[in-house]
Amino acid sequence: MSEAIAEAQPGSERGGTVFDIGYQPYTDVREGRSRGRRAIFKDGVRTALGFGRGGRAKILPWFFIVALSALGLVFSIVAAAANTMGGPGGAEKAGIPSYSDFYGIASMMLFVFAAVVAPDLLSPDKRNGVINLYRVRPITGTDYIASRWAAFLSVMLIAVWLPQIVLFLGLSGSDPVPMDYLTKNWLDIPRFILAGAAMAVYATTLAMLAASFTTRRAYASVFLVGLFVISTPFTMALSEEIGGAAGQWLAMFTLTSIPVHVNDIIFGQVSEVTEKAPARKLGSTVLVGWYFAWTIIPGLILWSRYRKLAS
Amino acid sequence: MHSRVRARVRETEGDIMTSGQPLLEIEHLTKEYGKVVALNDVSFSITDGITGILGENGAGKSTAIKILLGLVRPTSGSARVLGQDASHSVSVRGRVGYMPEHDCLPTAVSAAEFLTHMAEVSGLPPSMARTRAADTLRHVGLFEERYRAIGGYSTGMKQRVKLGQALVHDPAFVMLDEPTAGLDPAGREDMLTLIRKTHREFGISVLFSSHLMADIERSCDRIIVLQGGRLVQSGEVEHFTKETETVFIEVDSNREALMTALEKRGVVVTIERSGFTIQGRDETVYDHVRDALVEAHAPLRRMAPRRRALTELFERDGDKARDSEAA
Repeated sequence: MSEAIAEAQPGSERGGTVFDIGYQPYTDVREGRSRGRRAIFKDGVRTALGFGRGGRAKILPWFFIVALSALGLVFSIVAAAANTMGGPGGAEKAGIPSYSDFYGIASMMLFVFAAVVAPDLLSPDKRNGVINLYRVRPITGTDYIASRWAAFLSVMLIAVWLPQIVLFLGLSGSDPVPMDYLTKNWLDIPRFILAGAAMAVYATTLAMLAASFTTRRAYASVFLVGLFVISTPFTMALSEEIGGAAGQWLAMFTLTSIPVHVNDIIFGQVSEVTEKAPARKLGSTVLVGWYFAWTIIPGLILWSRYRKLAS
Repeated sequence: MHSRVRARVRETEGDIMTSGQPLLEIEHLTKEYGKVVALNDVSFSITDGITGILGENGAGKSTAIKILLGLVRPTSGSARVLGQDASHSVSVRGRVGYMPEHDCLPTAVSAAEFLTHMAEVSGLPPSMARTRAADTLRHVGLFEERYRAIGGYSTGMKQRVKLGQALVHDPAFVMLDEPTAGLDPAGREDMLTLIRKTHREFGISVLFSSHLMADIERSCDRIIVLQGGRLVQSGEVEHFTKETETVFIEVDSNREALMTALEKRGVVVTIERSGFTIQGRDETVYDHVRDALVEAHAPLRRMAPRRRALTELFERDGDKARDSEAA
């Protein structure tokens, strides 16, 4: 059925007729759950980066991403200057931080980034009631939470890898023979990719779990910042005071250090942040196991909270 | 069944439904929340058209809809949607739309972006989702406002977005939970018009829950009445109103004589404040009224056919049900 709803004025050479063809049923392909999962993932990435929202929504995520990249740039400039003044290997001799130190130094900033951005992917859906619309779509609760988790993990990976890439490009670019630098240091690339992924998975899982308990993004952010910022000096001071094996185990609860220990194991050297951490003496297996416990258990709790979102 | 609806369900989801089945079917459904019985052995089926579920708050309307959507599992009985078990089928949700009663909209995004996203979540490819979102917003009357953030919309506009998200993936069936809640009279009228349009022009069948009798009466083809979790009545709206067709007459004087003359002719008369209501509306009733008016010398001021509103019918039935429960 078609109905002419407007017609051009007679005599108009470029005139035409606009037709309202009415409601058209959708008869094309329906891609089911896989499309639903991708849609929630895409929406999660856009939400985390503030795309499709007002200008204010972009400020926080991009501030952190730019600040972290700037940190990588500063490291590379300082290292390049040290190499220029002290000759090849000058930066290393001068103790200028490099790839293995980056996540330790930037860990607090990365955790705060996760704390302020990740809750935006879960809390508003509950507060606004949008979650009720997802429940009646052809997706399951697992689809929803896995897609949201993967979306924020992707954003976290940008935040953790981009500064290292900047650092790598800066250091190789400042070398008199960039190819030589690349040949000597290529192993740092998989190392910082793996260590960055470990950092991102840990921060994403904890931040999403905290966000799943509240409809208010601010509550989750404040809780997480408090957890990371306040717990670190508290457990560090207490473990040093107690000392011995008990102190070492207490130091394991320094939440910001857990993925940094894994970073140290991947790079095969102790970073500046964990140099004095008592937990460092517990051994690689314990530290890696502790890391997995702190990612898998919160991950399972997060999943169980959304699993029954829809059957 | 509406052939267009049936054809669309078959074309797109041939494995979901076979011809001749009802769109929704509930059999001996009971839902208990602890000691509270929300639905008590309710059975009904819904085919093509606009069906209203009517009932007071707490009658079990929303529980029935939630069970049909697979959000709540029944204590006993079964609920089938487009031929599939509502509790277990995820895929069937791609062919069902739902407009909740309460707030369910994000505030920071535009209606166009939100509907595109919901269409994609329902399984439509991105390019199709964008087209469908724009078309749907045009059909619900929000085309001009589609790029504004939803947070700045009026209540009526938000209700339209809610309806839009329920329609954007072109469902075979849409369930609307109190769609006129919170709307002013003009907004309510617009929403009822949209609901009628959803079926008559878009070919999408509608299940529409409300506690407002007038909304159901004006929009629905069929009605299901729930009270205290039990099914009180179900059937065609026209059937209920036709049964109660009456003629209202008002005279200037000689009311008593007219009433006697009518009763002498076997006409059932109900006295109202300003006149009489006479049961039945066939030709013989008009003949009897004419003869009685002449016999009683009663000057006629007004005579008009009147269909009894559903309100009156269900108030009467509700009273009966309450009386029997009390007994």
